[in-house]
Amino acid sequence: MQRPDWAPETIDIERPSVARMYDYYLGGSHNFAADRAAARAMVEAVPEAPLMAQANRAFLRRAVQYLAQAGVRQFLDIGSGIPTVGNVHEIAQRIDGQSRVVYVDVDPVAVAHSQEILAGNEHATVLQEDLRRPEAILTHPEVTRLLDFSRPVAVMIVAVLHFIPDSDRPEEILRTLRGALAPGSHLVLSQASEEGRDGTGERAEAERVYRRTDSQLWIRSRAELTALFDGFELVDPGVVWVPQWRPDSPDQAENAERAVFMGGVGRLGG
Amino acid sequence: MFARAWAKAVSGTSYLPMTQSQLEEMLQRLTERLAQALRAEPFDLRIGQQVGAELVQAHIASAEGLGRTVEVIQLRLVRDLDLVVDDVEDRMARLLATVATGYARALRDRTLDEQESIRRAAMMARAQAERALRDSEARFRHQATHDPLTGLPNRTLFTERLAAAINRGADRVGVCFLDLDRFKVVNDSLGHQVGDSLLVAVAQRLHEALGEHLVARLGGDEFVILIERTTGTDDAVQVAEAALAAVREPALVDGHELTVSASIGIVERPVAGTSPMELMRAADSTLHWAKAAGGARWSLFDADRNRRDLARYALSAAIPAALDRGEFYLDYQPLTSLRDGRVLGMEALVRWRHPELGVLRPGSFIPLAEETGLIVPLGSWVLAEACREAGTWSAVDGDAPFVSVNLAVRQLHRADLVPEVRGVLGRTGLPPRRLQLEITESTMMSTVVEPVRALRVLGDLGVRVAIDDFGTGYCNLAYLRDLPVDELKVAGEFVTGLRAPDSGTDERILASLVSLAHALDLTVTAEGVETADQADRLRAIGCDAGQGWHFGRPGPAAPHLGRVPVHVEAVS
Repeated sequence: MQRPDWAPETIDIERPSVARMYDYYLGGSHNFAADRAAARAMVEAVPEAPLMAQANRAFLRRAVQYLAQAGVRQFLDIGSGIPTVGNVHEIAQRIDGQSRVVYVDVDPVAVAHSQEILAGNEHATVLQEDLRRPEAILTHPEVTRLLDFSRPVAVMIVAVLHFIPDSDRPEEILRTLRGALAPGSHLVLSQASEEGRDGTGERAEAERVYRRTDSQLWIRSRAELTALFDGFELVDPGVVWVPQWRPDSPDQAENAERAVFMGGVGRLGG
Repeated sequence: MFARAWAKAVSGTSYLPMTQSQLEEMLQRLTERLAQALRAEPFDLRIGQQVGAELVQAHIASAEGLGRTVEVIQLRLVRDLDLVVDDVEDRMARLLATVATGYARALRDRTLDEQESIRRAAMMARAQAERALRDSEARFRHQATHDPLTGLPNRTLFTERLAAAINRGADRVGVCFLDLDRFKVVNDSLGHQVGDSLLVAVAQRLHEALGEHLVARLGGDEFVILIERTTGTDDAVQVAEAALAAVREPALVDGHELTVSASIGIVERPVAGTSPMELMRAADSTLHWAKAAGGARWSLFDADRNRRDLARYALSAAIPAALDRGEFYLDYQPLTSLRDGRVLGMEALVRWRHPELGVLRPGSFIPLAEETGLIVPLGSWVLAEACREAGTWSAVDGDAPFVSVNLAVRQLHRADLVPEVRGVLGRTGLPPRRLQLEITESTMMSTVVEPVRALRVLGDLGVRVAIDDFGTGYCNLAYLRDLPVDELKVAGEFVTGLRAPDSGTDERILASLVSLAHALDLTVTAEGVETADQADRLRAIGCDAGQGWHFGRPGPAAPHLGRVPVHVEAVS
């Protein structure tokens, strides 16, 4: 029989997965030989890669803490990757055990792993979907079961947008998501940027590494990233290198551009 | 002081899910344990190992994290804490060894755990993907083999199962073709939505009533039932009766209470020597027998009847080619005046000189030609040929006889009948009054306004119109007054009655029929006149003409034309 076009992909662990490479940068062992080989090639090209991942992860932690303290109790983390150290539900549920978290990832292994981690946590769940299909995410039964869109929701798209090229119309994806949100909701974005770092050749090398993986790199400037917050009011300090976003201590923000990631948090007014 | 330096040394070696101050607090606690270990007497291996393991648990879990920790403890612990310890170098070496041991062991365990969990996740994901693939294939297969409206199996699945039953070589198999009677009326009057709902309701009932047998929808209002392992015809008949009963129950569909019936064609036979195609075809034609018999019933396949049907269909299909090859010809039978024995006219009767079957009479091919519409080209040929021949006739004395041509209902309904007749008359030069068109009584009665208008136009031209087989239908004489008719041909049944010794009733009926016809200014020809006695009685009644073996059998025109009139005086 001919394979129907809606048939799912098979799992190929010989192909590097950006989710497992990210886990490797963070010092995790949730990865396979192919992931480690690609990640090591990346570290060779861009020695800061592990630092980038750590800085981004720290940004995620501070953003969730900020949002939880601002009263947000619902989180939609799209592109959540391999649950490793310091997941959104751990941070949010430490502040309020009733906080609800829905993880979304396109990587079936990341989703299966998340299912295991979340087993028994009735306020958190995971589903497999693609950021490029925001309607499918918003109408997914797990999403509608756990999240109440008449109340504020924080949509987190952290370290994912650099895998979404402009041809996939990220501004439309975000507009669709924004359209579903109630006032007081937030958007958390971060992605690789080379603001003021051009000419090092690192970008070309990094893009070459990622061509081996399941996702391609799409670097954006601060202005481009800021534009994606359209409709949201940026929370201080706006779109910055991620270590500069509300650091725990001022010295952490030193040499912030080495983190390569820029990010910010926007609030939906009205 | 020391804890802060330690925190600084390990930060950045791996991702730490805590703030700098939380990290310092944690390391401060561990610093106190290390100081305690350095001082403890006797030296306690466990403390250093626990510190190493706790560092990994706190996610300071990397080779660099261990290296920096060893370095900072060695360089700064004793100095920063201002510790006074005997054998400090020896104890420091042992302390570092235990910290490294505990750390490496915990890191290895953690690595193994994480590897195990990611492999398990990959396996789960693969299993889920495979299940999803199987599900989607099953869904695809279901869609490909089921009818989306009713959810019943479709023709594909039915044919598969039928083929499997036949290939299995199980003794006998039965197939019921079911079709709703007059379903089109439901669709046309209540709309397709109601029609669809009705189909869904019927499908569900059939499925419930015949659970063990496969019920499929072939399309439209056609369903089919497979009965496997039958022991004889009765098994299939029982299923058909259950199906008819299930359909018969009134159905409430979108607020309408609908009562429908169905017709079923049943084929039940040994599987040996049959094929799915053959079975389906046989069941389908058997269904048409049930329909033709009025519906709301089943019919059982009959091989002889089927053979006859097939032969008839084959014959009908051969008509166009036979026309091209000139296999048709006309015989003529005279319509003779009862007054003076003159041949008034001749009825053209079509014959088919079939290359294999010999000469065929109209009864074997005209009814089917009427069904299939092939009567139209055949009828046109007859009309043209009859007019052509009639144009060559001359009479022994007086006027040449007219030619009488049968007109089928389909010909009458064609818009170009009038131009066609006009054209033929023009081409052959036959005067209109020498053409008579015979239309059966039932055709006349079912005829609507337009064909009557056509007949009137032809009548005005001078063409004669006769009603054939009069007395067999329900034509009323008052209606005849308004129709453009010249002659009645009284059916042979009435004439047959004249032969009996006590034929008073038939004779009286005929007599009043003739006088009524004359009152309406119509002439009367009696058909089926076989004896001189019948001819005499008809003449006595006042009948105008006779047709039958007594006056001449159907045959070529010439001999009839040469017939010498009988002398009226001799018989009167």
